[in-house]
Amino acid sequence: MERRAAMAEQLINGQVIEACQQGDRDAFLCLFEAYKDKVFSIAVYSSGGDRTLAEDVTQQIFLKLFTAIRQFRGDSEFTTWLYRLVVNACLDERRRRRRWLPWDLTQTPGMAAAMSNLSEKKPQERQYARLEVAEAVRGAIEELKPKFRLPILLKYIEGLSYEEIAEVMGCSKGTVASRLNRGHSQLAKRLSHFNNPALWGE
Amino acid sequence: MFSKHVTKDISAYCHGELTTEASKQFAEHIISCAGCRTKFEEIKLGIKLAEQLPQLTAPDSLWHEVESALGRGEAPSGTVSVRPASSWRLRLAVAAAVVLVLTLGVWLYNSQPGPHGGPGKAWQVTRLGGTPKIGSEEVFYRGSLSEGEWLETDGNSRAQIAVGTIGNVDIDENTRVRLLETQPTEHRLELARGKMSARIWAPPRLFFVDTPSAVAADLGCAYTLSVDDKGDGRLSVSSGWVALQANERESIVPAGASCETRVGTGPGTPYFDDSTLEFQQALNKVDFDNDQASRSKALKSMLDHSRAQDTLTLWHLLPRVNESDRVLVYEKMESFGAPPAGVTRDGVLKLDQNMLQLWRVSLEGGWILSGGGKGIPKGTVDGKSLKSWSDLKLKDPVKK
Repeated sequence: MERRAAMAEQLINGQVIEACQQGDRDAFLCLFEAYKDKVFSIAVYSSGGDRTLAEDVTQQIFLKLFTAIRQFRGDSEFTTWLYRLVVNACLDERRRRRRWLPWDLTQTPGMAAAMSNLSEKKPQERQYARLEVAEAVRGAIEELKPKFRLPILLKYIEGLSYEEIAEVMGCSKGTVASRLNRGHSQLAKRLSHFNNPALWGE
Repeated sequence: MFSKHVTKDISAYCHGELTTEASKQFAEHIISCAGCRTKFEEIKLGIKLAEQLPQLTAPDSLWHEVESALGRGEAPSGTVSVRPASSWRLRLAVAAAVVLVLTLGVWLYNSQPGPHGGPGKAWQVTRLGGTPKIGSEEVFYRGSLSEGEWLETDGNSRAQIAVGTIGNVDIDENTRVRLLETQPTEHRLELARGKMSARIWAPPRLFFVDTPSAVAADLGCAYTLSVDDKGDGRLSVSSGWVALQANERESIVPAGASCETRVGTGPGTPYFDDSTLEFQQALNKVDFDNDQASRSKALKSMLDHSRAQDTLTLWHLLPRVNESDRVLVYEKMESFGAPPAGVTRDGVLKLDQNMLQLWRVSLEGGWILSGGGKGIPKGTVDGKSLKSWSDLKLKDPVKK
């Protein structure tokens, strides 16, 4: 998916954006295809894993995008402009709803079984354990404060550099570094039981 | 030497966001600061966890919902009306982009290597001589080595690999190496045959080299590693420390020392390069001869030629020889100096791990001096001088 999106993004050039500004349906579709998975992912992780809510948020983001795209003048990168829209929409949604349901890690099915005696497990079982980790990480990410969660999502889902994240979030590169550090630290503390060399193939 | 703590830079370092100079300063500090190193391990785990975060797939129905909302006029006021673009050139460009996006979607979806199969990262390769090859492509000046790709030199060519921002690896003639993995939390090369020299300025256990007979884990150092056509290897360390591990054997090799490795056996016992030839030949038999009687005979010869600094070798041999030979090794070590308080003859002969580690720590100062003082980086641990490689908190470097 990442390769697909990365290559699709490369096709979003000035002409596609200009066509969007003129209201071209196909150009909208092109933009939508390039960014829908990333926008949807951030929306899911910012909405307590509620995919229905995330669909609504994603829909609203693209509607806003199509509204505001006429105002895009190319002063910044299009992606910076887009992700700023995404970040603001997620923060607005959070403020509006105030119902963020964290995943309860202790209730994650099969977690204890997946983590036991990892070093003795076969590769496919380790792969299963890694999927379980992904589930736990999703829950832990959701529990981070938005100022720590959003830089992590922009880094790992969108693949942005520190400078790009800083531009999207309207803060300095140093602040991004500091927030990522604290986000990583909180993830590690919360999920310290995954500090298992066998799990990471070490 | 005092330097500022670097905990706030850990994520930036791991993500390659620091300048080369800042990266070097970071690594120099962290290798000698236990507090920052503990935090480094914590952040590394956080990064590994965050990397597991999957990108999700939006439902196919979403576009229809967006389009319907636009059609129903549910979008906020000011939304552009949906219609074809006015210019035919623009329409053509957009149509081409749409076709490519959708085609790529199908093609790439079907060719995904896995949930985390993003574009591979690459290291820069610079030609030092001849015409090294990456895959089948010749490198004339510079090239790019991606994960999974082989770099190969012939009898006339050499190359240098830039290991991200953490160091350089020089590749000698007739060498074959592959980039296995480059992640913020781990860089791993495979040396199939030939010779490479690494200079790494990074925290311990960030750079690994897999060989057919052992894994070399960098602990902040410079070293040369060679592998012959049979897969056997030799490690020589010029500064810092390197851990060699395989088959549940681990050898910690300081500056000025070397260690052989053999397929099937794993790493042998480290020895100082200035030890006598008789000592080294006897050690080779002790490590790799299949006959017990021959090994015991070689051990006696080796002990006869050992010096005080050769306790590096003797200490590693304690758990590797049989009980009767262990007594001889112990007595030889004791002849160079009594073990420290808390370490008893009986405990050592029973391979009490605490006692063995205590004794090793007390010996390391001498080993570092034997290596020209290059064994331990300058620095402090919580205000005290860094005294032992065990302060670096080694873990199993072997990747299964």
